[in-house]
Amino acid sequence: MPEVPITIVRRLPPAVVLVLAATVVGCGPARVAGPLPDAAAAAALRASLTSGESAGAAAEEVVSGTGWGSLTGRFVFVGTTGERRVLTVSKDIEVCSKDGMKLYDNSLRVDPASNGLADVVIFVRKSRRVKNPVSTEQLVFDQKNCEFLSPVFAARVGQPIDVRNSDPIGHNTNVSGSSFNQLIPAGDGTIFTPNRETGMPVSVTCNIHPWMKAYAVFRDDGYVAVSAADGSFTISDLPAGEPLEFQVWHARSLGPNGGLGLEKPELKWSSKGRFEITLEPDQVRDLGTLEVPAAALGG
Amino acid sequence: MKRAAGIFWALLFLAVPVLGVATFAVAPSIDVWLPEDVSEHGREIDSLFYFILALTGVVFIATEVLLFWFIWKYDAAARGEEKATYIHGSHTLEVVWTIIPAATLLFLAIYQMNAWANVKMRRPDMPPTVEVIARQFEWRLRYPGRDGELGTPDDLHLVNDLHLPVDEDVLVQLKSMDVLHSFFLPNLRIKQDAVPGMKIPVWFKGTETGSHDIVCAELCGWGHYKMKGRITFVTRPEFNAWLERKYAEQEATQPVEDVTGTLVTN
Amino acid sequence: MIITTRLSLLALFVLLPLASGCGPTPPASFRLNMVEAISPSAEKDSISAEQALTPAQEKQVATILAAMFGTPDTPTCLPETGLDPAKLVLAAGPVRSDIVGRKNGLYREHCVHCHGITGDGMGPTAAFLNPYPRDYRPGVFKFKSTERASKPTHADLYRVLHEGLAGSSMPSFALLSPVQIDALVEYVKYLSMRGETELALMRYYFELDEEDEGKLPETREFLVEEILEPIAEKWASAEDQEIEVPEMPEDLDLAASIAKGRELFHGDKANCVKCHGVTALGDGQANDYDDWSKNIYKIEEKLKTLADSEPDSEERQWIAEFERVLAGDALTPRTIPPRNLRQGIYRGGRRPLDLYYRIHAGINGAPMPAAKGTVAPEDIWHIVNYIRSLPYDFDGELGADRAVAAQPGPAGRLVATQED
Repeated sequence: MPEVPITIVRRLPPAVVLVLAATVVGCGPARVAGPLPDAAAAAALRASLTSGESAGAAAEEVVSGTGWGSLTGRFVFVGTTGERRVLTVSKDIEVCSKDGMKLYDNSLRVDPASNGLADVVIFVRKSRRVKNPVSTEQLVFDQKNCEFLSPVFAARVGQPIDVRNSDPIGHNTNVSGSSFNQLIPAGDGTIFTPNRETGMPVSVTCNIHPWMKAYAVFRDDGYVAVSAADGSFTISDLPAGEPLEFQVWHARSLGPNGGLGLEKPELKWSSKGRFEITLEPDQVRDLGTLEVPAAALGG
Repeated sequence: MKRAAGIFWALLFLAVPVLGVATFAVAPSIDVWLPEDVSEHGREIDSLFYFILALTGVVFIATEVLLFWFIWKYDAAARGEEKATYIHGSHTLEVVWTIIPAATLLFLAIYQMNAWANVKMRRPDMPPTVEVIARQFEWRLRYPGRDGELGTPDDLHLVNDLHLPVDEDVLVQLKSMDVLHSFFLPNLRIKQDAVPGMKIPVWFKGTETGSHDIVCAELCGWGHYKMKGRITFVTRPEFNAWLERKYAEQEATQPVEDVTGTLVTN
Repeated sequence: MIITTRLSLLALFVLLPLASGCGPTPPASFRLNMVEAISPSAEKDSISAEQALTPAQEKQVATILAAMFGTPDTPTCLPETGLDPAKLVLAAGPVRSDIVGRKNGLYREHCVHCHGITGDGMGPTAAFLNPYPRDYRPGVFKFKSTERASKPTHADLYRVLHEGLAGSSMPSFALLSPVQIDALVEYVKYLSMRGETELALMRYYFELDEEDEGKLPETREFLVEEILEPIAEKWASAEDQEIEVPEMPEDLDLAASIAKGRELFHGDKANCVKCHGVTALGDGQANDYDDWSKNIYKIEEKLKTLADSEPDSEERQWIAEFERVLAGDALTPRTIPPRNLRQGIYRGGRRPLDLYYRIHAGINGAPMPAAKGTVAPEDIWHIVNYIRSLPYDFDGELGADRAVAAQPGPAGRLVATQED
């Protein structure tokens, strides 16, 4: 064997060991493991599911009333809105940036005169009675100048919606969570009839023009309203005499799933954006001015 | 003690030729031998293999036995105090055992030239029967369509399932879509690297109908081990019918259903 | 302390292999959808720290899923799913032979390294692939013969396994037997239903009332009738949602059809050039995402906005936890480029029928919109013919009309004969 300095011979293997150990230990972000299931509980649950028994809570007592009422109110924004964000127009600039026109993010629309907060959605979570059958009147959802004309749009399941395109260029309207992602040629329209209710509002986008954004909410019972430019809303023909739980939502709300939680302890308004009331027959319940602080709505 | 150690090492070295011969003798009976050959040129290649095996086998056994005998006979423990003689070597021996192997190798090189030329140089003058494009980790196939030309809109595109007519010369045009692969047909004694950027002709003639493996023989990535295809030889009429059927499937404008609602395969 | 050479060698060859993971392997287990657990919402724009599931809730979801779907080694399925348990047995578990010598564990042998044990598209090799392997958990599949939001039929999934997806890393499994492919298709549906159930369960915590105390009801009415049955129903009705394809006329003038197709491609009804580009190279636009990447992208954008707007300590903790989950449990979002139609590689299949399906219904999960209702069916055929001509710049005139099979070539000089 050739003469090698003893020091190297002594030091080399430990160095090799350490290097190899380091590589063996492994590098890279560890996958986050969720909890493992409780096997015994799972087996018991499986047995109860397959045996066909329903080991559950007693049936809720059904409270039903008669007559119909209405709910009304006005959402008001308290605080200062920031500068509206300018959207980046990356396609069809001849139309979408015509004459230097700028497109703005309109997820927060406050009326300068009355401070009314528009585009707040309020709907009934579960109703037991519905007064009117689905109307066959077509609602219109339009887009022009490369933006959706209704930032928030509500409809009843089964009601036809005329999705229009009033631009000289084609758009495709993609209602997330539904089967509707369709080309709408310039100046044309197509009928979309939602066949399933959304939970909270879902986003509506255009794949050709990715900055375009709106929200849509479809409810089975049709008890849904979107606050107007001055912040006011009305839902009529609500079932009276039974507790109704309402869900309130805003696109910019920082609450869970966009739920808008307000400081209204008398209505027991939860942080999830829910409150419950019971209407008398023929009552028009006015919630008055509902103040939405700027802190509740994010950037 | 020392003698025992010497005997141990000598026997250990003897085990090499003994086990070597034993494994080769047993291998064919446990199916660890050359795969079935269904090609026309395969016989020549296999006989070359056997010839070289025999030649090198004889030399191997001779040298190993000699090694064993020297270890055994000249073990220091057995010979007592007798010291080894230091010599400067034998020039004659050196020359002999250089010239003889060199001559043997030269002989082998010339002896195999014909077999090599048949497989790698004497390309038949015919248009390609199929184009095989190796890709991570599959074999994409392209048959010329009705117009007989590759690279036209009526080509037949398939994956992994290579059908060819039996008893006919076949010319494969081999390409690679990404990295180095190797088109290996064990049962036809064909192996050709697919080099990206090159169009390499591969030709052979199958002599029996049946299905065999296509495997990749050049490490091409994490899926190299599962880059398997299937080559099937069928009679010419069956081949024509199969091409027509596959072409009709490729041009389908209506869904094809069978009784189970699954697709008709092959 | 001087480590001697011999001791180091001992360490090298003996202790190192032991340290690197010799030992009993724990049985495979499904991974919880951690990204969803920390932000259970269909709209990732509106997530907040309050919604994140507590560890107790995560455990409840895992337990319910184990009850309804079993484990990777022993899958179970409730009869409402409509799945065949015998096929699941073939596909599930470690690779082994059963008592009659059939190979079991097909999914683990062929699919796990890309699609993951939970079908989450995050197996060990997934990060190296472009496009990423399919994540079955949202129940969205791209290449099928049904209307856009419908599930694929059994035949659609069979075809994907049998043909592979050209241009992606999904190989063709044509060399497996039909029984084996069937078993794998069934297992994919099982993993998909399991994933959809998991999403539905996690998102339901938001719908609970105060008296439920943050626990899902573990009753048959809730779990089977309200959660599972709608999912199973969508799968069962896939066959009814198959797209009706009109016949392509026999006497079609191919050249005229291609010309009409070119007109439609560039026209403003179908708007193909907006994404696919005027030369169909797929260079129309490159900044959209497929649904799986868009999920993560939206989350990342939301976290950025939250981080910018002075979060409180609970939110900061949530954001930090979320970043940890994203680093280890999500693939980096990638934009999805529109298909380069000049290459002649079509992932969903190259038959005219496949292209018709893609144009009519668009591609579910991808930005490709549906032309149904906007472009007439005959016009879709014209576009199909135009697209098929693009890789060859072909105007409709083919070469000599003869049988597909080429004539046998001239006898080549394959074996040297005596005369040579």
